[in-house]
Amino acid sequence: MLGAFITAWELIISGDRELINILIVTAKTCLTSSLIALLIGVPLGIWLGTTRFKGKHVFIVLARTLMGMPPVVAGLLMYMLFSGVGPFGKLKLLFTVTIMVIAQVILITPLVIANLETYVSPISQQIYETAFGLGLGRRRTFVLLYNECVYPIFSTYLLAFSRAIAEVGAVSMVGGAIAWKTNVMTTAIMLYTNRGSFTLGIALGMILIALSLLVNIAVTMMQRRLSA
Amino acid sequence: MIIPPFTKTYGRRTVLRTPQLTFDPGKIYVLIGPNGSGKSTFARITAGVLDPDEKNGKHVSDGVIRYMPQKSYPFRMSVRRNIMLSGGDPERAEELIRRLNLTAIEQQKISSLSGGETARMALVRVLMKPCDLLILDEPTSAMDMESAMISEQLITEYRNLYGSAVLLVTHDLSQARRLADEVLFFQEGELYEYGPAEKLLYHPQKEITRRFLEFYGSLAK
Amino acid sequence: MQKSLSLNLSAALMLCVLTGCSSSPAAPSAEPDKPETPAAEPAAETAPAETGTVNTVILKEADDKMINTYTLLAVNPESPFTDADGNPVDGVEVNTAGAEALIDWFLSEEGKELAAAFGQEEFGDSLFYLLDGAPVFEGEITPATEETAQIRLSTTTSVNDSGLLGALLPVFESKYGYKVEVQSAGTGKAIAAAKYGNADLIFVHAKAQEETFVQDGFAYVLPGFDTERLSFLYNYFVLCGPTEDPAGVKDMDSVLVAFKTIAENKYPFISRGDGSGTHTKELSLWPEDLGITAEADSYADYTDWYISANAGMGACLVMAEEMHAYILTDKATFLTFQANNGN
Repeated sequence: MLGAFITAWELIISGDRELINILIVTAKTCLTSSLIALLIGVPLGIWLGTTRFKGKHVFIVLARTLMGMPPVVAGLLMYMLFSGVGPFGKLKLLFTVTIMVIAQVILITPLVIANLETYVSPISQQIYETAFGLGLGRRRTFVLLYNECVYPIFSTYLLAFSRAIAEVGAVSMVGGAIAWKTNVMTTAIMLYTNRGSFTLGIALGMILIALSLLVNIAVTMMQRRLSA
Repeated sequence: MIIPPFTKTYGRRTVLRTPQLTFDPGKIYVLIGPNGSGKSTFARITAGVLDPDEKNGKHVSDGVIRYMPQKSYPFRMSVRRNIMLSGGDPERAEELIRRLNLTAIEQQKISSLSGGETARMALVRVLMKPCDLLILDEPTSAMDMESAMISEQLITEYRNLYGSAVLLVTHDLSQARRLADEVLFFQEGELYEYGPAEKLLYHPQKEITRRFLEFYGSLAK
Repeated sequence: MQKSLSLNLSAALMLCVLTGCSSSPAAPSAEPDKPETPAAEPAAETAPAETGTVNTVILKEADDKMINTYTLLAVNPESPFTDADGNPVDGVEVNTAGAEALIDWFLSEEGKELAAAFGQEEFGDSLFYLLDGAPVFEGEITPATEETAQIRLSTTTSVNDSGLLGALLPVFESKYGYKVEVQSAGTGKAIAAAKYGNADLIFVHAKAQEETFVQDGFAYVLPGFDTERLSFLYNYFVLCGPTEDPAGVKDMDSVLVAFKTIAENKYPFISRGDGSGTHTKELSLWPEDLGITAEADSYADYTDWYISANAGMGACLVMAEEMHAYILTDKATFLTFQANNGN
């Protein structure tokens, strides 16, 4: 383990070009996918948590079920759809960062939706009644409701980002772990593990965790500031 | 202000059925009755946050209503900003804050407030602006005795200042005795008996009303 | 630090003595840093920092029964592509010109020389040998155009893990302006990628599956060659086991005898068990009367010594090291594993 730690450190300070490329691709993929998931999932989750309609439970159960979708299944689905023989083959998206982002968005958006719905559902009626009782308009009420969600939005973002950066099934399936192009931290770890280079795998794992830690610290600091 | 008759049904169970009611300006109407008798449901429908059964049509009030729900929501901002949410005169806010002992925590984060403090903040918030009908659903149930007394004073003053009709839901019969001009007794979703306070609270016509008053009267003096 | 270094060197020395020191894979620390790939660099650097030494050694190699032939196949643009439900699909794009250029280069003098030399520098031993009578390309290689620049090469993990392509492709790319995207997966998925229209050529080592691929019409004969299957490299799987070699396979005449002895005396053996090329080869080496196949039922009676790991080569090597078991592996993975002192 100490060897792995030293290797990790040496890799970082040597500025290894391949490692830097892997880090950039990882950051690009996971930050984009988690932000898109947030942009789609937060309004949907809040909407599900605030409105009442027949069949709403179907949506919620669906979102909660999709939360448990194995990454490799999301990847496989995208692989089939975007293969040369698939319906979207002409778009030539397979083995690009774009398709990795799409697969991850599919994977993590349900998580964002379900999380926000769970948070908003029990407070939305109370907020509505209080605001209505004070004569506040719809738009004002909506802004107040969003403001209440700042804290869970940050926590949910971290959850989404963590799932994105930790998963390997989807990105390896649609990305193909192509060196210099779609190889991310997790797929690189898999490659090194299969190759028998366990030390290097653990070293990359340590860097991945450090990266995760940095993002967590940054987001948590923002969360504390904005939700004070 | 005239409230039309309506019913409220959940599934097959009718939880509320009321006749047409008129609330006169400057009077305090107190709603009493056991748990689940329909008091809060009546308050919510009258306030317009809950729709009665469809056949009654949507309830649209002909005057300004201010309503404080049983669980008034403390928004994630300072106590002061919560109070000023619907606007109003800052000097009035200042005075109400002082009288309900909120001055020390005026700028504090809402999450650090106790239940009693939250309830006081909520009452000040709803009392910030005039209205035709003020609906308060158990505003003092989370407060200590002293705060409850001050609150009662503030409610009376509000009525005197703006000449509003006040609808107050309470469990506290002594509070009803202190504030009520008229009393509405709810029982199993029906407006069972109503009338002037001195008559209904001291000489109820119906046996069930009498038993309720005796029971709760002996518990809370 | 000083102490552990000398300790490690002496351990490496002992290992050399024990193995008869045919090659010297246990002395990677003597190599200068090669920052080509991250795999190469730490392999050289971390070795002295580790305290463990690999006990597993190569016991049997260069046996004809363990030969492993590598083949290039260009994907036929007129392939009978079908979607997931088996319906025919038209107009699947295949970069035939790019695939042709890359195959031509692999089979040119330059490509072959580089392939045959690969491994000398890092392990002091070639990992691939040129096949006698391999097809030759002597013409001009077409440089890339905007349409043909991106080549999708699908290969197996073991080929990719060996580092061969990482060493060869940059030469081809910088000379002719192509960009080769290498996807690696298990043999099955690597071939499936081509069938799904996601590869322009494949580089595999599984004869039976290659022949099916050709029969199904997914490959075609490139101009200047006379067959779809362009086999040009080979190497050997190696039989590894504990240094003590309790079965004594090192001195046996044939690998078949070695496998028979291991089975008869129930020495622990780690099988990949994952349908990979290595697994397929291993299955062909057991005495027929044992009836060991890829099916779990077939080795249900042998679980006291036959361990089906269902894992990658690296993970299986670690398992073999821990259990003092015998194992069939490709040489490149084993040498990397050994260079990393089993970590």
